Amino acid sequence: MKKASELKHGERLTISEIDFTHPSSQRILEIGFTPGQEIELIVRPFFNDPLAFSVRGSLIAIRKDEADCIKVA
Amino acid sequence: MNVQTTEKIPLITLIGPPNSGKTTLFNYLSGKNYKTVNYPGATVEYSISGLQKKFNINANIIDSPGIVSLNAHSPDEKISIDALFNHPLYGQPNLLVVTVDSSQLSRHLLLVRQLQNAGFNIIVALTMNDLLKKKYQEISLSKLRIALGCEVILIDGRTGEGINTLLNSVSQNISTTKTSIKPEPDKTVINDRQSLLNIYKEIEQIENDVVFETNSNGNGFNLEAANSELNLLTPKPERKTKYTLDATTLKIDKYLLHPKLGSVFFFLIMSVTFASIFWLADPLMGLVDDFFAILSTEAASLLGNNWFSDFVSTGIISGTGSVLVFLPQILILFLILGLLEDSGYLARGAMIVDKPLSKIGLNGKSFVPMLSGFACAIPAMLAARTIPNKRERFLTIFILPLMSCSARLPVYALLIAFLLPADKLWLGGIILAAIYIFSISSSIIIAGILNKFKSRIVKEEDNSSFIIELPAYRKPKLNFILMNSYMNVKVYLQKAGPVILGFSIILWFLTYFPNTNPEIDTTGLTETEIVNAKEVERLSTSYAADLGKIIQPVMTPIGMDWRVGVSLIAAFAAREVFVSSLALIFKVTDDNEETIQESMLMSMREAEIGDTGKKLFTPATITGLIVFFIFALQCLSTVAVSRKETGSWRIPILQVVIFTSLAYFFAFITVNGLRALGVS
Repeated sequence: MKKASELKHGERLTISEIDFTHPSSQRILEIGFTPGQEIELIVRPFFNDPLAFSVRGSLIAIRKDEADCIKVA
Repeated sequence: MNVQTTEKIPLITLIGPPNSGKTTLFNYLSGKNYKTVNYPGATVEYSISGLQKKFNINANIIDSPGIVSLNAHSPDEKISIDALFNHPLYGQPNLLVVTVDSSQLSRHLLLVRQLQNAGFNIIVALTMNDLLKKKYQEISLSKLRIALGCEVILIDGRTGEGINTLLNSVSQNISTTKTSIKPEPDKTVINDRQSLLNIYKEIEQIENDVVFETNSNGNGFNLEAANSELNLLTPKPERKTKYTLDATTLKIDKYLLHPKLGSVFFFLIMSVTFASIFWLADPLMGLVDDFFAILSTEAASLLGNNWFSDFVSTGIISGTGSVLVFLPQILILFLILGLLEDSGYLARGAMIVDKPLSKIGLNGKSFVPMLSGFACAIPAMLAARTIPNKRERFLTIFILPLMSCSARLPVYALLIAFLLPADKLWLGGIILAAIYIFSISSSIIIAGILNKFKSRIVKEEDNSSFIIELPAYRKPKLNFILMNSYMNVKVYLQKAGPVILGFSIILWFLTYFPNTNPEIDTTGLTETEIVNAKEVERLSTSYAADLGKIIQPVMTPIGMDWRVGVSLIAAFAAREVFVSSLALIFKVTDDNEETIQESMLMSMREAEIGDTGKKLFTPATITGLIVFFIFALQCLSTVAVSRKETGSWRIPILQVVIFTSLAYFFAFITVNGLRALGVS
């Protein structure tokens, strides 16, 4: 199991859990990152942060530190 | 404005996630005839209007800020959400119209479900159906109605398609529905993550039932869609809907969000934005300027030679002109921002700069306010409201006056022209670019330093976050952008206009009184010369001159005298007033062949400090003045808006003190440093 922030460009994996201790976790859940959803890393920009993921048919940019609380497998 | 205040008028609140087409729909329903108000005691704004008369429904409609869920993540969100349950002025809405992006059902229905669980009476307005069709998918409205247990209507706020159907059901709904249960925030149990996940499960089930793949992208007859509406569809595959991103968007983002090329495109787009703000607006600003100059001269000659005539021509007409001269720039800025936002790029720009900005205590969401700051700090501060973290928002507001706003341009233009020899005018553009680069770099440094003291500026320690949806690229709708720009310009005029005009009237008073009709020796002078000589005499004995002489000791160390001091004080009305004030003080007249600027430069070159015989304006003092203008916060409208947006006098007072002392300090160093280096 790894963190969403460790995905390679174009890599597609399924969310296994969200770390609820992170203060942004609730917002991450509400924007569509939920266990069971497939996500794909679409953009890894110049500074490597924020990252943009495809989730539920939308493109969402979140900070690397926030993507750390999304666990994928 | 046609807001009805009687209690019996039904209230409809528009609500929806960001990028769900909510504001477009609101503009359509209100017919841009709305007023924007703050919630009592808060900086959060909402817009309210009566429904357009032509729709024939007697109801008020409120547009509230976009929210993702009923669970507030910032104080501002909490105010919006609390107001949804019980609006401080209008009470509880009779009906909520919830906008939902058709292509984002699985995310946007979350809010719908939360609202339903809270007990609201709602109608769902499905938007952006074109994006869904592009994915070869369609929604069965009848099934969605059953699944959600409320009315669902397909609309396009940009073209007006489906609006009439929406209005019919709104009208029917508010005339028949009597809400017996009062929506309660605590009924929703929204704070519990498990219940969030349960709602998602439910939504995924609904989505599976109502969204189906089609073979067509919306052109021509679609058998499957017809079949589905009639419930005749052949057995369903296990999972019908696949989440796919918009293909065109992915292709464009390959370039615009490319790790390396992305930054190149970002700088290109920003450069084009800046260039057009300046070069497109320049001729238009000249036109506005000329128009008011002519109007002022005409009024003066029509009303004769008395104080009232001078009040009308100089105080009122020129004062109005100094407000309106920025309209072209601000309008062009909003047009470009509108184009960037509507096309979907703005969110991506914010994403690109989030990392560097977060290093200096700001946020990717500071990007739009900072960009706006290059036209005017006032709309920029209003734009800072979208930054959820209070500390980041306040820091953004704090440094906005350092963005080189358009009011500084006429000042720089005059001062640069003074520095340049007549045969090297082409250097002007380069110097101006250098000034911009210098002011951007110094504002970054200042932001970095302020960030060290962040806990003193804002005590609250909020979670710093950047979660933003990058919307699918769409072709911008020009008429929609035009309407939005018009609304933004109107807000600017309402907020800044009265202050700037008021101050130019006060300034007029200070420069005209008490010696309204000075006695001078008129022998051998022509009519015009008499008028001019009187003006000079009147000014040098005016209240403004008294004021200037008080501050003379402060001006001497930076190589200036009271006349520059008065102009600097006058510039507090608006920075560009510095130019017209200098023109007034150095008795510049436009009755000869030269342009105003040429004759002004000439009298500036001749001006001496008192009786010392030393030149007042030298390359050293002029450079010092440019440096002063880069840092100084000399705009009372900005101070007033900063007070309003931060909710206290603390930030604006700190801004004035810090930026103006920095300006003075650096001007002092520049002038005396240059002199020490042998530049007079």
